[in-house]
Amino acid sequence: MTDVAVTAWSLHVPGTCPAAVVPGLAGPGSEVEACSPDRAHELLGRKGLLNKDAATRLALCAVHSALGLRPGQGRAVGPPDPSVAVVASSNLGNVGAVTDVVAMVRDGRRKQISPLAAPGVSGNVLSSAVAIWFGFGGPALMICSGAASGLDAVTAGTRLVRAGRAARVVVVGAEPADEVAAALHGLREPVRDARPPLRQGSACVILEPAGQAPAAPLLTPVPGDPGESAGETAAMDLTAAVGDLYGALGVAQTAVAAAVVGARAGVDRVRLICRDAPDGWRAVDVTARVSGR
Amino acid sequence: MPVTVAASAARTCLGDDAATFAALLRGECGVTDLRYFRAGALNVRRGYHIAGPRPERPGMAGRWLAGCVTEAVSRARLEPGCRVAAIIGTGLGGLRDVERWAADGQPTRPDQLHFAAAIRAAAPFARTAITISNACSAGGYALALGQDLVELGDADAVIVAGADSMTESMLAMIGRFDAEPTDRIRPFDSGRAGALLGEGAAAVVLVREGAAAAPALARLLGCGLSCDARYETAPDLAGVCRAMRDALDRAGRSPADVDLVLAHGTGTRLNDPTEAAALREIFAGQRPGPLVTAVKGAVGHTSGASALTSLTLGLHSLRSGMVPAIVGLSEPLAEGAGLRFVRGAPRRSRPRLMQVNAFGFGGVNAVAMLEAA
Repeated sequence: MTDVAVTAWSLHVPGTCPAAVVPGLAGPGSEVEACSPDRAHELLGRKGLLNKDAATRLALCAVHSALGLRPGQGRAVGPPDPSVAVVASSNLGNVGAVTDVVAMVRDGRRKQISPLAAPGVSGNVLSSAVAIWFGFGGPALMICSGAASGLDAVTAGTRLVRAGRAARVVVVGAEPADEVAAALHGLREPVRDARPPLRQGSACVILEPAGQAPAAPLLTPVPGDPGESAGETAAMDLTAAVGDLYGALGVAQTAVAAAVVGARAGVDRVRLICRDAPDGWRAVDVTARVSGR
Repeated sequence: MPVTVAASAARTCLGDDAATFAALLRGECGVTDLRYFRAGALNVRRGYHIAGPRPERPGMAGRWLAGCVTEAVSRARLEPGCRVAAIIGTGLGGLRDVERWAADGQPTRPDQLHFAAAIRAAAPFARTAITISNACSAGGYALALGQDLVELGDADAVIVAGADSMTESMLAMIGRFDAEPTDRIRPFDSGRAGALLGEGAAAVVLVREGAAAAPALARLLGCGLSCDARYETAPDLAGVCRAMRDALDRAGRSPADVDLVLAHGTGTRLNDPTEAAALREIFAGQRPGPLVTAVKGAVGHTSGASALTSLTLGLHSLRSGMVPAIVGLSEPLAEGAGLRFVRGAPRRSRPRLMQVNAFGFGGVNAVAMLEAA
């Protein structure tokens, strides 16, 4: 069976930097504050950004960084590469665009709706935009499974590699925090009477067959049923640290785990868990292949 | 490990899958005046609605989905102890409920954007329910992922389902793109004038050998996936052909083996010529080449349910030896010259290998190859 490794990662939470989210993190970019969606051109360049929604911009930023591109560095141009797949995760990415269109219809302003808004009313605008932007011609899919979505995306990414559908899978999670998204998110069931607010942000991990990257940590989805781990306490709670990244959470967890396993003494395996009563329970293990120093 | 289809079910404006197939053989079209929406404000007057409640109720797509899943699961008769997963493909998910929440104050919750609750209701034994939002090829993508799950040994059975209702925002875009939206879908017709939305759901149960008591309906040989990575809404010939070749490669079959194509056939200005060109390219030199049919003229564009609806109706053709004509097609488009569109009356035929096409916004393509069991 093909093992799957995380060969690159990025975390893009505007207003903070990776080192602030994961204390002690070092390396290129770890102290650079992530730009907000309206400043995405600083990282991506201006061309093509005009009609992109916030979640798409955040996703593009995360992928740009995970690919190791410098700020402003153009992406490769040429025919799409069918060996690269995209798995995106987002729940609220286009709710703002959809409700904007409906508001215009209800106001009798149908004719003022821009045809350029069309991709935004389809649920998969984010994954396709990433594929088009970077020229990824392999499978492109978008997962919207609520709180479980990010780890579902990571797991789906490992399967695309194992099934031989891609040599490289770009897994990206992104959520906006516009007014509509935040209000809708506020209707999630509270956890212990509290619900941390939605935080806009994105993360990306790149998955490849483990044989291609002998030192990169392995990803192993954990089969199981909801409720199995009801009593456990987390060693690190990203949501408590930055706010609720919702559909991006599982991808952000994977990025953080990839950064710390094997790099810290005693941390050779990290279990990632996303759970929510209506959405279910998911877990993925990230295991170092080079033991903690 | 060979993957078989143990059961399937569909629901369209023409009824369940048996009723829909019978109506297709009669050449019926399920289009009616648009319900639930103010046609004038949208510039769209027609649609393919499932007979149902008025006024519109929340969570309709989830209800149709749960109905199809319940039916497919009961037909499959899964062996006890099977590890079952569910993958749901949708174009618009629960966005209609978000629209009603924002515009009309109707209550909703973020978890109603996806279909975990519908699967819990219909198949509580499923360990996970993953909702993928992949526009009009979502069901085809879900099918491919479901096949991978069984082949990789991660599940013994996978419920693959698709469902969509209509959203006001998508209708508004149709009304915006087409100056005079069509009165019905005319797939591959030279006079086609665009797509209309259809309400629908479909479900299939994929199993590894021995996981279901029901006799196999068909073998799922392979699914091809690609993304054009070119345009946000327009299709691209190279990307579509890539998915078709990937499906044949994974199935271990050659173009000459394909007997029947269930085309995507949306009746839009751009899809049909691109799809026709792709079929001509893939089947170039084949004599006589596969029969080509399509169901959207009868049941509308059911988006995330579309691939699995085509598949389920195609399975009826494999079993009955009858291939329905393309409802709404009278004069084929020039780009389809040489393709064997089924026109006018159903064709008696015994297809063995069937290809199911689905293409979506964002250039996401999914093509499946199924063989009669």
